[in-house]
Amino acid sequence: MRKLVIGGIILIISLLMGTYIMVGEAFDMNDSVNVLTFAGVTAIVIITVSVVLKYVNQMKNANSEGELSDHSWDGIGEYKNKIPTGWGILFIATIIWFWYYLFIAFPINEYSQIGEYNDEVKEYNKRFEEKFKNPTEETLKEMGKSQFLVQCSVCHGIDGMGIDGKAHDLTKRISKEQVKAVIQNGANNFKETYPGGMPPMLLTEEKDIEEVSEYVANGLKGEMPSMWPVCAGCHGMGGEGMPYVAPNIKEYSDELIKTVLHEGKEGIIGKMPSFKNRLNETQEKAIANYLRSIGE
Amino acid sequence: MEKSRRIDYDYSISKLFTITTILFGILGMSIGVILAFQLAFPSLNNIAGEYGTFSRLRPLHTNAVIFGFALSGIFAAWYYIGQRVLKVSLNESPFLKKVGYLHFILYVITIILAVVTLLMGITTSKEYAELEWPLDILVVIWWVLWGVSIFGLMGIRREKVLYISIWYFIATFIAVAMLYLFNNLEVPTALISGEGSWIHSVSFYSGTNDALVQWWYGHNAVAFVFTTPIIAMIYYFLPKESGQNVYSYKLSILAFWGLLFVYLWAGGHHLIYSTVPDWIQTMGSVMSIILILPSWGSAINMLLTMKGQWEQLQTNTLIKFMVLASTFYMLSTIEGPIQAIKSVNAIAHFTDWIPGHVHDGVLGWVGFMIMAAVLHMTPRMFKRELYSKSILETQFWLQTMGIIMYFSSMWIAGITQGMMWRAYDEYGSLVYSFIDTVIVLKPYYTIRAIGGLLYLTGFLLFAYNIYKTIRVGRVLDKEPVNKTPIYQ
Amino acid sequence: MFSWFEKRPFFFGLLVFVFVSFAGIIEIIPDFAKQSRPTVGTKPYSVLELAGRQIYINESCNSCHSQLIRPFKSETDRYGMYSLSGEYAYDRPFLWGSKRTGPDLMRVGNYRTTDWHENHMLEPKSVVPGSIMPAYPHLFEKSTDMDTAWAEAYTVKKVFSTPYDKDIDGDNKIDVPLGSLEEAKERSLEEAKEIAKKMKNKKVEEMINRGEIPEIVSLIAYLNSLK
Repeated sequence: MRKLVIGGIILIISLLMGTYIMVGEAFDMNDSVNVLTFAGVTAIVIITVSVVLKYVNQMKNANSEGELSDHSWDGIGEYKNKIPTGWGILFIATIIWFWYYLFIAFPINEYSQIGEYNDEVKEYNKRFEEKFKNPTEETLKEMGKSQFLVQCSVCHGIDGMGIDGKAHDLTKRISKEQVKAVIQNGANNFKETYPGGMPPMLLTEEKDIEEVSEYVANGLKGEMPSMWPVCAGCHGMGGEGMPYVAPNIKEYSDELIKTVLHEGKEGIIGKMPSFKNRLNETQEKAIANYLRSIGE
Repeated sequence: MEKSRRIDYDYSISKLFTITTILFGILGMSIGVILAFQLAFPSLNNIAGEYGTFSRLRPLHTNAVIFGFALSGIFAAWYYIGQRVLKVSLNESPFLKKVGYLHFILYVITIILAVVTLLMGITTSKEYAELEWPLDILVVIWWVLWGVSIFGLMGIRREKVLYISIWYFIATFIAVAMLYLFNNLEVPTALISGEGSWIHSVSFYSGTNDALVQWWYGHNAVAFVFTTPIIAMIYYFLPKESGQNVYSYKLSILAFWGLLFVYLWAGGHHLIYSTVPDWIQTMGSVMSIILILPSWGSAINMLLTMKGQWEQLQTNTLIKFMVLASTFYMLSTIEGPIQAIKSVNAIAHFTDWIPGHVHDGVLGWVGFMIMAAVLHMTPRMFKRELYSKSILETQFWLQTMGIIMYFSSMWIAGITQGMMWRAYDEYGSLVYSFIDTVIVLKPYYTIRAIGGLLYLTGFLLFAYNIYKTIRVGRVLDKEPVNKTPIYQ
Repeated sequence: MFSWFEKRPFFFGLLVFVFVSFAGIIEIIPDFAKQSRPTVGTKPYSVLELAGRQIYINESCNSCHSQLIRPFKSETDRYGMYSLSGEYAYDRPFLWGSKRTGPDLMRVGNYRTTDWHENHMLEPKSVVPGSIMPAYPHLFEKSTDMDTAWAEAYTVKKVFSTPYDKDIDGDNKIDVPLGSLEEAKERSLEEAKEIAKKMKNKKVEEMINRGEIPEIVSLIAYLNSLK
């Protein structure tokens, strides 16, 4: 019997420790749900093992006895024994608790899962605002990385390079093919921020398109093409863009990232949907910060 | 003491269902093992084109083990136990015998059609109610036939007082009839529109209402297919095999009626934090906690029936199966209610901890009990000694190990995944993207697959043992009273 | 008291029925009508989307994917706003799912697009390294069963008064047209062509040019409608 008890204890400990260790970092003690889950798990294992051992003990050390009822079925008889006291008490207790919980505690607290959610969000926002009132650039970069890995890396890859052309390569601002396509086809992605859009074929000569595409894809480094002023008229000489007119084509400015996240974008690869209302302003700035850092 | 009059029981229908128990068990469990390995090694999804993907095979697994393996075992047990505790033979009613055969034939046809239609992707998507309307009609027909068998046999019974096992079979019949009928209400679209596939139907219910009806059905399918008929079995086979008397009649009454009433309310625990009204969710949660008691009541009654019989547990492998079945039943029926607590559910819902819970119940409780029943019935039906104790012992340890590997790996997998989904970092961002929480599960998926493979291997050993028993087992000249004879 | 019943099978059965039917009556009936009322903005699926939904069901996508966003910040941050009951008013049957082997898809139309789905369904690992989802290349070759999709839409309109061919939002325009089988097929082909324009797969292009709708296109129509 002692062997079984020790075995039971070892089983309980290994299951609980195993769970705790494997879950590792994800086990945030501040989240009450995690704590309650672990308490529940502990309860399952301890209660089952101890009750089973109690009855195994009776199999080993007690004897069947009692008054037999006068009926038998195919040789099977029944004792008229009382119900186990502990069991009876617990049954009644759970029923009483049920009445209390449902009719006293529940309506009085007027629980609502939506209400619980609203509280959760309010608290999160309060904590966020307090903590990140004036974030440093380093903080923004780390925050951006954190958000990027969860929200953006699914399509853009953990390294941001676009998973073999399935999405835009964020380690550079834009590729030569993409610039060419935009010049040839025009673009009208950001209907709210840049309502006018860009008409197609503002450059007509193949040579000019080549040169400008090369120049923009290189981050506006090197020799300025002769037709560049055509583009600079809207995009600025340094490619920094102009409010209401044209986006930044040199780098991932805060303004550009906010625009893309709010409006989505479609290009030669495919379509990126809008992520409006997913992130707050600080988080959007953070992503822009992070993207600028992986380009370097 | 029994009356000295010998009744010549007829086991022909029970034998037929015993065979399908084994065949559908092999089918259902093999698909289960394939599914488990596909999760750990996804390239296995390509083995048979569109017919071999995890998603196409999953309903086949659930239907084969529930409607195939479990129901066959339950029917085999009914056609055996019913006659014996009511003290009447099927030979005394040619009508009931014909009903039994018809029940069997229509049942097998339904399962075959189920396999074919599900493989083809013809499904309603509702869990354990995937079969389209023509098959649903077939199910209703043979379910009613089974009811005729139950009430018909009771009508001509000699033993006036109904034994506990009969209560549980009656409950199974009535409750499943009610549940299945309501949840499977569907309108065949070709009937109304005159166009499209004749077998396609649309659900009577939509959205949240459909979810409520579905889980009222789904949870109580667990109650009345995986619990009540299996309890019916253990209340017969454990006392009969051990020669012990049932511990407490009062306990059996409280546990029975308590189970019936409370179980129906617990379906809400499948819908926690969904769009179902808060009060139904709370009801489901709280009722699930109450449910622990009637469930444990039956298990405790069985364990106490074995008071002082430790030696029997050590020497009789069938008793090992049944006692362990009770233990896994206890584990499952406290694990479920704890998972039904709202906060725990917030972690557990949608994770692998739920299949873990399902399988410690179905492999440990349902599987073990059905196999024990078949092991007890076969020698008496075929008048043969069980073929090999060493094979049986090997099976027992393999399967017990398999179950432990299954539920402990899924327990850890589920909790890990649930907590990872909720994790935030110091910048207020979620820490893990979804795929991170998938990649981390691979070792657990592997352990679970191996556990399932062990269980299947044990089941194949079991099939072999039964087969050899029927073919070359030592002939028994007298029906064994209690302990089932087995060749050492 | 119970022993009286134990000698009388009929009454025993009756008592069993009373015990087991009780809960269902109390839980299901009270809020039945309220729960099925659609939220503002919820519309029935178009015939093409319905066909795609049927493919989702046939392939048992719900075995691994849920469509229910719970009210936790960790869920809404990941998937979008939590689900409301009325959003599922026209979901027959509901597809909440029981398991997230893969992510929730309730609002997948908000953050995944046609080209992504095209790559993903052909070979999931090509866009999600480490994915354990099976590939579904057969969707690019099989033709959608538009007849059954129309039949289902017609049936729910006739039997459940689902508002096809009606003005739901009060702007004097029919919101989700149904029409006859032929009209629906023509309309769906036009919708399918719009989607196929954003796809690169050759087989898809060929089938669309032949006037057939590949299953992948209707499936994408359905997934894109999940917002």
